[in-house]
Amino acid sequence: METPISPPDAPIVQNREGLSSRLHRLPKTMLTGGVILLFYLFVALTGPLWAPYNYSQVATGKPFETPSLQHPFGTDQLGRDVFSRVVYGTRVDLYLALTSTLLATIIGSLIGLVSGFVGGWVDQGIMRTIDVVISIPFLVLALLLIAAAGPNLAGSPPLLIFVVAFVYAPRIARMTRAVAVDLVTRDFVTVARTRGESVWSIVWNELLPNATGVVLVEFGVRAGYAPIFIGALGFLGLGVRPPTPEWGLMISENRPAIISAPMALFAPAIALAFLVIGLNLFTDGLARVLGRSVNRV
Amino acid sequence: MIIRTILSRLILAFFTLVAVSILIFWAAEILPGDIAARVLGREATETAKSLFREQLNLDLPISQRYLIWLGGVLHGDFGKALSSQRQISTVVLPRMRNTFFLAAYAFLLYVPVTVILSTLAAIQRERFWDNSVSVLTLIGLALPEFVIGTVLIYVFAVNLHLFPVLSTVQTAQTFAEKVWMTTLPAVTLMIVMSVYSIRMLRDSLIEVLDSDYVRMAILKGLPRWRVVISHALPNSLVPALNTMALNLAYLIGGVVIVEQVFVYPGLGSLLIEAVFLRDAPVIEAVALLVSALYILANLFADVMGIMLNPRLRTG
Repeated sequence: METPISPPDAPIVQNREGLSSRLHRLPKTMLTGGVILLFYLFVALTGPLWAPYNYSQVATGKPFETPSLQHPFGTDQLGRDVFSRVVYGTRVDLYLALTSTLLATIIGSLIGLVSGFVGGWVDQGIMRTIDVVISIPFLVLALLLIAAAGPNLAGSPPLLIFVVAFVYAPRIARMTRAVAVDLVTRDFVTVARTRGESVWSIVWNELLPNATGVVLVEFGVRAGYAPIFIGALGFLGLGVRPPTPEWGLMISENRPAIISAPMALFAPAIALAFLVIGLNLFTDGLARVLGRSVNRV
Repeated sequence: MIIRTILSRLILAFFTLVAVSILIFWAAEILPGDIAARVLGREATETAKSLFREQLNLDLPISQRYLIWLGGVLHGDFGKALSSQRQISTVVLPRMRNTFFLAAYAFLLYVPVTVILSTLAAIQRERFWDNSVSVLTLIGLALPEFVIGTVLIYVFAVNLHLFPVLSTVQTAQTFAEKVWMTTLPAVTLMIVMSVYSIRMLRDSLIEVLDSDYVRMAILKGLPRWRVVISHALPNSLVPALNTMALNLAYLIGGVVIVEQVFVYPGLGSLLIEAVFLRDAPVIEAVALLVSALYILANLFADVMGIMLNPRLRTG
């Protein structure tokens, strides 16, 4: 599907305006999402300073205790404090989700822009390859990559980041290619080409600035799903290794306590859900400000 | 012309499948480590290892092994599992039947739930039902399958004792028993699929309800339910059908996690077991089957889209 190019129609903000009225102009969804994201960012950055226990400290209480003042979310199988683990986990999940999406966005948009600009058989080759990669359900593709990486790399954060980026990059490339194909016919690109500028220079100076909106929204959409993706891999036991406090892994570890101490698995689940809600609200608002539609396929 | 368009999509899907099979085979075959040493144990003699490699054609180059494998696959022979030494086709078949059962059940739940809830929301626009559906679907969008499944187990299995905690269906069970055991995973998949389509169908219903011919129907005195059933729904169902077909494709990937949550013996849990055991032939077989189904479902959505959209028919 070709994405129509609309001129960047971000609201014109005058310098004299105060911050509060500027914020007021933004969609409410974006502000709500922004507040949620700031909260998560705050917890991720400062959490280790005020979390009552270390994430790996065992026997802070009996196994699978119910919530109490000492352990707001109870304890897990090894008597670790679930509240502290959820707090530390913010760092893990946020880091994995954002770096993997960032990597995917950089690689995907560069491939898409260059492919759309160069055109011809190079473009056809790249796009058909992408079609093939996208024809494998993303979780199956992720499992294949994890299996192919072997037991030595399994569970390492760089592998996870690479896997998520590998799954997302082709989808992002498709979107940005559509933008590039449309931009190539514009005069300023023709002028740059006649000036004899190199492919990289045109992609960097002419195409990328005009594709910022699409790239930003793509980043938001993928980032909104990345925590679920990483959590799912953790849940399946194919994400980061224990004792890393990753939320998906915690949910699966604490499943035996679903009867005796359900908070031990609902706390990380709720943390995960609110992060996803925050990311999606922010992206929806951002898309509206940039005048773009959100395409979650 | 429509037949030609569909035919070209079919051919494209076929070539995609061939390319996917190459990708899957290559990814699974570069699994590091000596397979012979892994299967036979560390104490195995060199001659035993080389015999084993010869048996599995491991001494041949990868391109030749791929062709041998593909020839087998075309005859329904996926080779032997490294871990259990059983024929993969006999392992895969019952699992595939289970996955089909779960997917069909989920889809049968999904269609009426989506139509009813979105109609309710559209008629009650911006009032109680619409707002509740909107909030519920927003929450549903943010919840991953494994969380929804776990919550359902907590509420309906642990607290209300209505359904079993695990859905380990067996071949000896009756159909009714299987339906009962598969209900929670099917509902999980149904929720994940419907949250997005409910929002879509509601929006397209409202668009139709605002149109002139619907207003005309109301003005000429048709009862409201008849306006919705005979005018609004058929016209807004067309875009929704495409979403539904795309959800069929989602279903094929989504079962992997849901099966694991409920310990349901399907293709997805087989794939995960194989990844843990690093059983390359099983990984190849399941990944290929799942991808083939996924490509078929997408093709189906594509063809439906062409047939339902008169503007695409000439394409």
